[in-house]
Amino acid sequence: MNDFIVRDCSLLTRMSGIREAANLRELRERIAACGENVLYHHFCETLLRPSFDYPDYHNDFAVWAKLYLDDRVLAERLGILDPYSAGSLEDLRGTILDILDERLSELPMNPAVSKGNEFFFLEATTVVFETGDTIQDPSQLPAKIANMTNGSIFYHFIDARRRTPDRLDDFSEWLFQFGNDGAGYAGALSSIDFSFLTLSEMRKVLAECLGGVG
Amino acid sequence: MAKSLAAYEGIASPSVIKELRILGSKLKGLRIVHVNSTREGGGVAEILSWMIPLTCDLGIEASWEIIEGTGEFFSVTKSIHNGLQGFPVTLSKKEIETHQSVNEANFERLRPVLKEAHVVVIHDPQPAPLLGLCSERKGKWVWRAHIDISHPSLSVWRALRPQVKDYDASIFSMSFFAQPLPHPQFLIAPSIDPLSEKNIDLSRTEIHAVGADFGLDPDRPLLVQISRFDRFKDPLGVINAYKMVKKVLPVQLVLAGGGATDDPEGKTVLDEVMAAAEGDPDIHVLLLPPDAHRTINAIQRLADIIIQKSTREGFGLTVTEGMWKGKPVIGGDVGGIRKQVFNYHTGFLVNTPEGTAHRIRYLLHHRNLIEEIGGKAKAFVRENFLLTRQLREYLTLFHWLLQGKGESRIHL
Repeated sequence: MNDFIVRDCSLLTRMSGIREAANLRELRERIAACGENVLYHHFCETLLRPSFDYPDYHNDFAVWAKLYLDDRVLAERLGILDPYSAGSLEDLRGTILDILDERLSELPMNPAVSKGNEFFFLEATTVVFETGDTIQDPSQLPAKIANMTNGSIFYHFIDARRRTPDRLDDFSEWLFQFGNDGAGYAGALSSIDFSFLTLSEMRKVLAECLGGVG
Repeated sequence: MAKSLAAYEGIASPSVIKELRILGSKLKGLRIVHVNSTREGGGVAEILSWMIPLTCDLGIEASWEIIEGTGEFFSVTKSIHNGLQGFPVTLSKKEIETHQSVNEANFERLRPVLKEAHVVVIHDPQPAPLLGLCSERKGKWVWRAHIDISHPSLSVWRALRPQVKDYDASIFSMSFFAQPLPHPQFLIAPSIDPLSEKNIDLSRTEIHAVGADFGLDPDRPLLVQISRFDRFKDPLGVINAYKMVKKVLPVQLVLAGGGATDDPEGKTVLDEVMAAAEGDPDIHVLLLPPDAHRTINAIQRLADIIIQKSTREGFGLTVTEGMWKGKPVIGGDVGGIRKQVFNYHTGFLVNTPEGTAHRIRYLLHHRNLIEEIGGKAKAFVRENFLLTRQLREYLTLFHWLLQGKGESRIHL
């Protein structure tokens, strides 16, 4: 059996080089042209960026639509998008563009924001590193997870879904090698709806959920 | 005594410190040089005074160099500073030459250190020309802009842009502070040092002694705004809001700020504030010396509510400091305050004195929320705005500079 190697990541946000959007049409044009890393950042990496724990919506586009475009209809339509259930980031892009096109066709004008409230397109540079910690047995998971950093939780439980062929988290991938002994733990992990959790909450829920299996 | 990372373990959690040690261990022996224009006073010096020892504690050879200049040089760089922040400034050819020649003189002294460094971080515009002078440089150079240069005076930006465009990367505090440049632009928000005099825990005795010194009534609610006497901090708007609240609730107000007497505009604003406060013994206008960090710390801890009713703001570290004291913040809906204050969670964003008064009354009528929001505010700062986060982002940047070839993901 392979040990689980605990990794951590540190993220550094950067400007993507795409001009900011000052109105809905510009937002649409820029999203159509931006790189996948930009979409990934505004949908998924927000969890690792300094931001408040309980935003109304789960991605930066929806938050901008609500706070600055003052368009709650659009914010709700964008806010419900789940990047992890989309087939790929390109599929996600297609869905976003459909929503924006629909909204543009419904509105009598192109809504714009005042100076200083533009949408800035960002992406991230991520450094991934080993913590020196390993896990040998599924029964160790709850205690190990309880002591992981936010970066480790993000890397293994969220970011893994972009890296692994089956779009699973790293813990579940590792647990499969244990057959029936790991199945209970993997089942517990798959039952977690993490959409509404911050990384700190995720750590707690993961540890509790896995602790309940043993 | 030099600061060490171990001192922060009880505040930021051991796993956060371990994370820094791992990131730092891969950079051991690296020579990093920070350059700015002053060792004392101002936010940059404050950051470097903790960043250098903590970086060294990781086994990295970090050093801090200062460029020395004449009065004329600092007058020019003050103009550049103002121009970058949007004030209408036109630089003369002579002023541009002064900026360049003082950097040339400093470069002769700094040459050996700069050319051998693996990473050089140049802070703000004053030493920016050093890059162009160091043709034999071996390392990577980063320009760190601490101010908002999103709408600069064209004359100033035309003079400065050629000096900064060739850096390997630049750092801004927030996305809306940046200018398009032909290299990667990273975003690193400022942070506070929880063990500094401004933020360290104080005993109840010390806190109450400060309150007594200033004649504050411990039995009535206290509103506090800490900021220099500047129109953009809207101290008159704060007094208006206080007066609206005072009609129905027995509140006290402290407006405390550093020495503004050498700033003609600051003196005018201070005079207006004194006039507006005249005759009300519950408005305390405190002009404090620049080193009154512990006093400010105590005043923030005495507050029921922290106010930062700015109409224009950079990041707003006084907001961060207030939140770190476990207080709800009522802040202007501008700049970096928006990144810190979230309605009903860490405080309230407001746009007018009326809105400020409304939120003060709301909180004072829901005393339980003051504690609840204050607790969330402190947790939010712990997670996002302590120096450990800023140090981690610098280490991440160093890895990217030294190992990356522009990749978005680096595996160590």
